[in-house]
Amino acid sequence: MAFLQVSHIEKRFGRVEVLRDISFTLDQGQSLAVIGSSGSGKTTLLRCLNFLERPDGGRITVRDELLFDAADPAVQSEGQIRRKRLHFGLVFQSFHLFPQYTALENVMLAGSLLARERPDYKANKQAILARIREEAVGLLTQVGLQNRLDSYPHQLSGGQQQRVAIARALALEPDVLCFDEPTSALDPELTGEVLKVIRSLAERDTTMIIVTHEMDFARDVADQILFMDEGVIVEQGPPSQVIEHPREERTRRFLAHFSNK
Amino acid sequence: MASFWTVTLALAEGLGATAKLFVLTLVFALPLGLVICFGSTSAFAPLRWLVKTVVWIIRGSPLMLQILIVYYGPGLLLGLPLLPRFTAALATFVINYACYFSEIYRGGIQSIPRGQYEAGQVLGMTRSQIFFRVTLLQLIKRIVPPMGNEFITLVKDTALVRVISVYEIIWMGESFIKKGMMWPLFYTAVFYLAVNGLLTLLLGWFERKLSYFK
Amino acid sequence: MKKMLTLALALVMALTLAACGGGQSGGDVDYVKEKGTLIVGMTDFAPMDYRDESGEWIGFDADMAKAFAKSLGVEVQFVEINWDNKAMELETKAIDAVWNGMTLTDDVKALMGTSEPYCMNAQVVVLSAALADQYRSAGSLGGLSFAVENGSAGMEALDGLGLPYTAVDTQAKALMEVASGSSDACVIDLLMAGAMIGEGTSYPDLATAVELESEQYGVGFRKDSDLIKAFNDFWGSACGDGTVMAAAETYGIAQNIIEK
Repeated sequence: MAFLQVSHIEKRFGRVEVLRDISFTLDQGQSLAVIGSSGSGKTTLLRCLNFLERPDGGRITVRDELLFDAADPAVQSEGQIRRKRLHFGLVFQSFHLFPQYTALENVMLAGSLLARERPDYKANKQAILARIREEAVGLLTQVGLQNRLDSYPHQLSGGQQQRVAIARALALEPDVLCFDEPTSALDPELTGEVLKVIRSLAERDTTMIIVTHEMDFARDVADQILFMDEGVIVEQGPPSQVIEHPREERTRRFLAHFSNK
Repeated sequence: MASFWTVTLALAEGLGATAKLFVLTLVFALPLGLVICFGSTSAFAPLRWLVKTVVWIIRGSPLMLQILIVYYGPGLLLGLPLLPRFTAALATFVINYACYFSEIYRGGIQSIPRGQYEAGQVLGMTRSQIFFRVTLLQLIKRIVPPMGNEFITLVKDTALVRVISVYEIIWMGESFIKKGMMWPLFYTAVFYLAVNGLLTLLLGWFERKLSYFK
Repeated sequence: MKKMLTLALALVMALTLAACGGGQSGGDVDYVKEKGTLIVGMTDFAPMDYRDESGEWIGFDADMAKAFAKSLGVEVQFVEINWDNKAMELETKAIDAVWNGMTLTDDVKALMGTSEPYCMNAQVVVLSAALADQYRSAGSLGGLSFAVENGSAGMEALDGLGLPYTAVDTQAKALMEVASGSSDACVIDLLMAGAMIGEGTSYPDLATAVELESEQYGVGFRKDSDLIKAFNDFWGSACGDGTVMAAAETYGIAQNIIEK
């Protein structure tokens, strides 16, 4: 079985069917770019994977562990979901850093709270926190922010904030890291620094799902492309197929918008 | 000069009652307001409507009338022994101000972007961790200005408790009218201005303390 | 607004009284003796009730209240009340007696049980000393604006004459209205006027004009309370042994006392 297996996901908001029969797989170390116009259901798909929305149907499996099954209410309790969503990380379009914490504190917060649940926390508190801090400094260095550890979010540019958000998501070592249009809220001159970080993650074989409008970036970085329209997957395959030689008329029409630019 | 000191001492005594009422009202109404806020935003509709009705009644009727009802009501309607005057005044103020505070909390909570909760959820935090570690401080920062307004109004509202003969500053000031002295009543303004001046400075300091983030 | 409030509360109270039928107020003397204190509701109202230098309550009424409590074998406790709420204070047992130069008006008699009258008083018009001579009869008062204590005998007198007035919450405030010029005249107790206006007081420029109505002071208790009889008996014996007149001389109101 594949590393990530998404089967027959359905999602409705009232009467509107936002996702219809979404199925795909992703191997470990691969990256998947999801493209499509606004309202095609891309963001909702990511939110379902991160349990911010509850799908009305379908199953999600990671590493052979069943994370979600719409037919089985037992796997949907609040406490269970909290642990299961840690298999995924999510980087938001508009960062959502915690404004009252420094860059370093943003990266450390969730890890230090989770550490309290460890049985040896009391005995080794100092060592555990020191290690979390060390890892957080490492991650911020990795995204090029070793000089901004003690800056508050409002003191950072949008690109820097998004890099902190990436480090924050990486800190919990998710199996699959999701990006929801990570550069859409940024000024054009700031997208490069964020894309560079994501590209470097791809080179380190991080398993990723990236919802994006950056076609060149998707083609260069992604191993798989998934084109969505009106809540269904229209076409999926390697970039050489979906972007260079799309088979479906709808895909061609969507891509035409970008080549015209 | 002698009468100036006599009056000042008498008003200071009234200030004692005013200050005690002010501080105790905050001590009890600030947490109670949060509880009422959770009730009025509860997903359980009957509870939500009950709490909203209570808030409507309390905010929609004069505080002075509430003081009279809380103090005299049990005796008049049920023949029960009365609460001590100060206790009745305090209970009324706590309930009244908690209702106002609950609406301020509600506005503050609703103004915090959903993304803050979602970022916490995605990072595996529990509801209470998200509340205490992520949203609470942002909430406090947002509600300091409207809360400051309420605090200052509260200082002045304490004057109402004289209807049930709690001897606060205005009562003490008025008592001199019967001795033919009008100025002590107007002199009470100095006490209110001093207290509210101090409060304004404190609130300003607190706002500056929280200005390190946006 | 305030008048409406008072009316509304009076209505609530009337309903309550009707519901209770005054049935439980029989044993007030026992009730007071059991708790060991007689709580007297009053206001600062010289020469009936006021504080001496040390803060102790004195005055004709205060001294008599102390003597009455002593005759019952209990301690007296004075509570300054909001005069508007005196009937509610009594009914809810916050106090046991209203004893503060209270004029026995029809309103008062309807709201509470009252003693036999113990003191005579009059309602008198007070205005600027320069004008006092022009207003020596009730008929001459037209055209003046008045301030008067809400619910007082003076207010009833003005109502009777059909004269316009502003109701304020104390007699002292009524005087202040006149002194500040916001009303032309006020109607207050003669006893109080004697103590508070004219040369050597805070209001040297005010003077008394026509007396509108003579009236009587009484002590208020709960309806049908046996404290009423206890007071009337006490008053009889205190007049007999000279206690009453001695106190009345002290406070300069001997000519107003109604002896029994």
